[in-house]
Parts: sequence; C-alpha cells; structure tokens
Amino acid sequence: MKLRFHWAFLLVAALVPVVGLFVPAARSLGELLRPIFIMAILALGLNILTGFTGILNLGVAAFMALGAYAYAILTCDIYPFQFGFWPAVMLTVLVGLLAGLMLGLPTIRLRGDYLAIVTLGFGEIVQDSLKNMDVITKGTQGINPLPGPTFAGYMFRSETYAPWYYLFLGFLALVVLLNRNLQRSRVGRAWIAIREDELAASCMGVNPMKMKLLAFSLGAAQCSLAGALWASFLGSSGEPGNYDFQVSIIALCIVIVGGMGNIAGVLLGALVVIGCNSIVLETLTNFLKAHELISSTNVYTAPGNWKYMLFGLALILMMRFKPEGLLPSRQVKAELHPHEPPPS
Amino acid sequence: MSLLQVDKLTMRFGGLVAVDAVTLEIPPGEIVSLIGPNGAGKTTVFNAITGIYEPSAGGVRFAGHETRSEFCGSVAVLLLLTGFLTAGALILLCNIESLWEVVITGNYQYRQVFQWKPANIAFTTYFSENSGTRLILPAVLGLFLGLAGAWAVWQRSRRAPEVAAHAGIARTFQNIRLFNQMTVLDNVLLGMDTRLQTRFWHAALRLPLFWRERREAAGKAIEILRFVDLDREVNQLAENLSYGHQRRLEIARALAMQPKLILLDEPAAGLNPAESQALMELIRQIRERGITVLLIEHDMQVVMGISDRIAVLDYGEKIAEGTPAEVRANPAVIEAYLGKSDAST
Repeated sequence: MKLRFHWAFLLVAALVPVVGLFVPAARSLGELLRPIFIMAILALGLNILTGFTGILNLGVAAFMALGAYAYAILTCDIYPFQFGFWPAVMLTVLVGLLAGLMLGLPTIRLRGDYLAIVTLGFGEIVQDSLKNMDVITKGTQGINPLPGPTFAGYMFRSETYAPWYYLFLGFLALVVLLNRNLQRSRVGRAWIAIREDELAASCMGVNPMKMKLLAFSLGAAQCSLAGALWASFLGSSGEPGNYDFQVSIIALCIVIVGGMGNIAGVLLGALVVIGCNSIVLETLTNFLKAHELISSTNVYTAPGNWKYMLFGLALILMMRFKPEGLLPSRQVKAELHPHEPPPS
Repeated sequence: MSLLQVDKLTMRFGGLVAVDAVTLEIPPGEIVSLIGPNGAGKTTVFNAITGIYEPSAGGVRFAGHETRSEFCGSVAVLLLLTGFLTAGALILLCNIESLWEVVITGNYQYRQVFQWKPANIAFTTYFSENSGTRLILPAVLGLFLGLAGAWAVWQRSRRAPEVAAHAGIARTFQNIRLFNQMTVLDNVLLGMDTRLQTRFWHAALRLPLFWRERREAAGKAIEILRFVDLDREVNQLAENLSYGHQRRLEIARALAMQPKLILLDEPAAGLNPAESQALMELIRQIRERGITVLLIEHDMQVVMGISDRIAVLDYGEKIAEGTPAEVRANPAVIEAYLGKSDAST
C-alpha cells in the first residue's frame, strides 16, 4: 500500500527529536516545529469548513481565542477551577463545539460572502469582548501563569522540549486521523457534495443545514483545541490581540497554499507558511544582523518584518500559477485544470 | 390508490402564473409523461413535487401524505431546547461580569480553598435581588427569541427537497447536476445516503457498522452502475464522462435512493437516436423494478414509445391527458404544438 503523505509527514516529524539527540541542528528545528503543529490543527479545523464544505470562515482566530481563554480559566490558579490538563482540554473542545453551534444555528442559512462577513464580525466581537470583560479575562494582560501539562505523573517543563513536541504531535495525529475518517465516510461525502451542488445534494436526501452545522461545530472544536494547546505552550492565555484577523488569514493562507480539501496539503501548507515565517525569515534576519549587513535600528530592512507582504505575494503567485495548492485534492485539481486527463 | 396526487397545484412568481391549478394522478407502476411546449411549466411542477418550491395554492400528496415534515414530539423538544439555550445565553450575557465578581472573585482567595457554600448563597441572592432585570426579562426575551427563530426556521424548512427525498421521490435535472468533482462511485453512494445507518460517530471511530455498511454500499452501488451500464467508469470523475454517460449517471444516482417514484427531467435531451433507444429500454427496466416513473420529455418517439399515459401542459394549464393515442389525436394538443389552423386552409 502506498504511504500517504500525511502519514509520512507525521512519521518523519516523530523522528526529529530522536535525530536531535545527535545533531543539534535537528534539535533547534524540533523546537521551531511545535507552533507549526498547533497551526496545522487550526488550519485542519478551517479545512473542514472551507475545504470540504465550501463555507468561507474568516473568524477561526475567535474560536482559537475562546479555546485559549477557556483553557486558561479552567487551569490557572487565580481561579478556583484548577482542572488538570486533560479534563481542561476536553472541556475546552466542548466549549468550542458549543460556540460553533451557537454561532452556526442562527447564521448557517446565509450563503457565501454573507456568512463570511458574519464570521469576520464574530472574530472582532470575541476579541473586543475578551479585552473588555477584564473581571474574567484580565483584559489585555492575559491569564497567566498556567501550569504545565502533566502526563501519567510527569510534569512538563518549559526547558525540555521533546515531551511538548510529542504531545502536540500526538494531538495533530489524532486530529488528522479523525478528519481522514470523516472525509472517507458518508459525512465527508455529504460535505463535498454540498460544496459541489447544494440543491442536488438536498434532492438526494442530504440535509444541508444539519451537515453544515456539523462542519461548523467540528471545525470550531478543532480550532479551540489549537487554542488550548497554544495557551499551554505559552503558559498564558495570551492577550486578546494575539487572536486577531491576521491569525484567521494565516490559517486561510495555509489551507489555500497547501491545497483546499486535502489533509496532507494542509499539513504541507502549515510547514511552508509557518516554517517560512518562523524559521526561514527569523534565521535570515539573525544572520544578516550578526554580520551587520542590515542596521538593527531600521525595521524595514529586517526580512522578518516582510512576512505579510510575502504571504500576500505567495497568495497572488499561487492563484496565478497553482490555484489548487501545492498538494491538491484530486477533486479540486480537476476543477481548476479541466483539460488535463485525470489520474486513473 | 394513486402514488402521487397533485391537487390543483398553482405556482405564482410575482404576477406570473407558471402553473395554474394542475391536477395529476400517478398510479403506482406506471410510466407517465408530462409534455408541453417550452415554458409550459413542466419543470416547475417537478420542483413543486420535490419540495424545491412551496406551492402558492393546492397541494402535493405522495403515498397518502403531504410531502412535508409533520410537527411531532422531537420537533417540539428541539424548539424548546433552542428556546432555553437562547434564554440561558442571554441571561449569562446580561450578568456575566457582575455574577463572576459576586460568586467567584468574592469567594476565592489566591491558592485558598474555594468557598462553595457562600458562593452558592451569593449565586442565589444575586438572582433573587433585582430578579426582574437580571433574570426574568432576559429569560423571557431569550425564550421568545429562540422559540420564534426556531419556529420560523422550521416552518421554512418543512417542505424541503430532503423531505421529499426521504419520502421516496428521486429526481434528475434538466441541466445535469452531478457532483462533478466526485467519482462516479461516490456520486452513486451519495444517492444512497438516505439508506445508510452510519452516524457521525461510527465514521469518526470506524466502528464495525461503518466497515460493514461501506462494503455493502459499495457492492450495491456497483450493482446499480452495472444496471445503467456504467460499471467500467467507477473511478472516473463525474465531469469527465461523456454527455450520455452523465445522463445515465444521474439516473443511477437517483436509483440509488431506492425511491418509489422517480422524476426524469428530459433524460433524452442531447442523446442520439441509438442512445435514446437504449434509454427507453432502461426506463422500462426501471419500471420493472417496481419504480413509478414520471417523465418530462420533448422527444416524441420516446414519449409515445414508453408512456402509459401522457399529460399535456400549455401556459401552465393542463390541456389534455390520456393514452398516447388519445393525446396524439387531441386537437388542443395539436394546436398547442403547431398553432391554430387557419379557417381558410
């Protein structure tokens, strides 16, 4: 049987810390990979909506923020709840599921751009609410410090990276498995059919509202999971401004660059987009600064500050030359290159 | 008793009367054709039968029932649940900060044990003071909003295509509407959706039911594809099929629903004579499977060749009905198709 890209990705990723024992470069790479796993979970949540079901969601950062704050409130010792890591994560996923349902119920009958605008507005509302409910969310300070996760009595510390690495990788593998199972089942089939032709799908007995609502709440739950992991990684809920529109756009960027509707593509997209952001540009900036090729006072010369310009450029170039993404799903590829013979 | 009863169906779009008091009776096991010049309202009748349109007047009864979901216990529970959820959300939204201060902040010192009892008391006193604005107003408003919203949504979705599909009405479309970027097999499997018992959690956890049903469904789908002679194209994308094959695939997808009634909207459009002949044979075989067929068609050879009965529409009104021979001899039909004969000729 052919090894699928997403399993190959997870397998190679699992080996990085082992290699890191011998090669220091692999170790620093492993440390940089952790945020990529979290963003991949976020983007996979968005992929259910935008990739499978064809609903454009411009507010996934809001669900991530809800997840991060719910996790922070449930675990931080300035509040009385003080749940452990695992129950808190489970509750957070539940919060995300409910939040998706609550947003989806009244709005899911809107179509296309209108729904996108609602989600955009939701993103802003959540961010502002978190900023202003400072009795609960501590305003712009964020909730901190959060205790590290524990696993079978072992306490995670910020100095050691391998346990964190495997924790996030494990969650990513779980999410990939869940998404793949759903994609290759009646649920995924119904989602894709709704994307292709909603009227025809409903004439075949698929209830579009129900399936869209399911996609909405599952996507939101995955985004909340990403938020909870992010908060545990930072040791803080982060401030509300961390979950702004740009995060939603980066998630969308990952899905589009990687390949809409394809799990493997989304993983590759996360690697390319976030990798470019946090590895290539950072290293380049540090290298240039160390050799005094750029002045450290002029912010415009640092490549690290060009990231949004580069993302924009990447999107334009992708749309022009490879609109189906780096690793397209077979369906979307056929849609965009109708004259090429299909793979059989 | 007839399988489908269309009773004085009227469809108005603004000032335009597209279908005017059309009555149709389709007995089980027959092939009935609906013909008429372009714009006569044939497809509109189909759309009303399948629940895409809500009739302006009159009704559609299928197997003795209205093709719309009935009000039942689970609907009531769903409505109430939405109402309570909205009420709860609104109460929380109105009070969350002050409630948090009174209950949580007031009873918790950093790293001390949380005072459950006083917190509980604080919670009840918070809502008993000023209960009008804190509790009752948002609760009533939320309940009303939730109930009204859910009721409106339910009312509007009562007569939806999926309801007709679940009742056992399948259809094809005049301009082919396949799921272009899905494979032929997946198209048929989607048609089978109403017959599947797998739920979301079965699929997510890959429980035994998922595997068993996947095997069975694929087997049935292949059988249906063999029936319409498409079993060599199983893994092709639907859009890469030839036009004639796409027409067949649409029929296969509709058959996969195991319907009692199948509505075919111009299945012979764009087919060459040989393909039309094969199509007629296919429609006969569909009838032999015990499925009633209602057909819109312009190809008179097909219509006259296979129909048990024919109904003729013109300008939204039914002008004739009867066996092929009767309809062919009917002066009103000839007039509708060829125009009025001049008195002098």
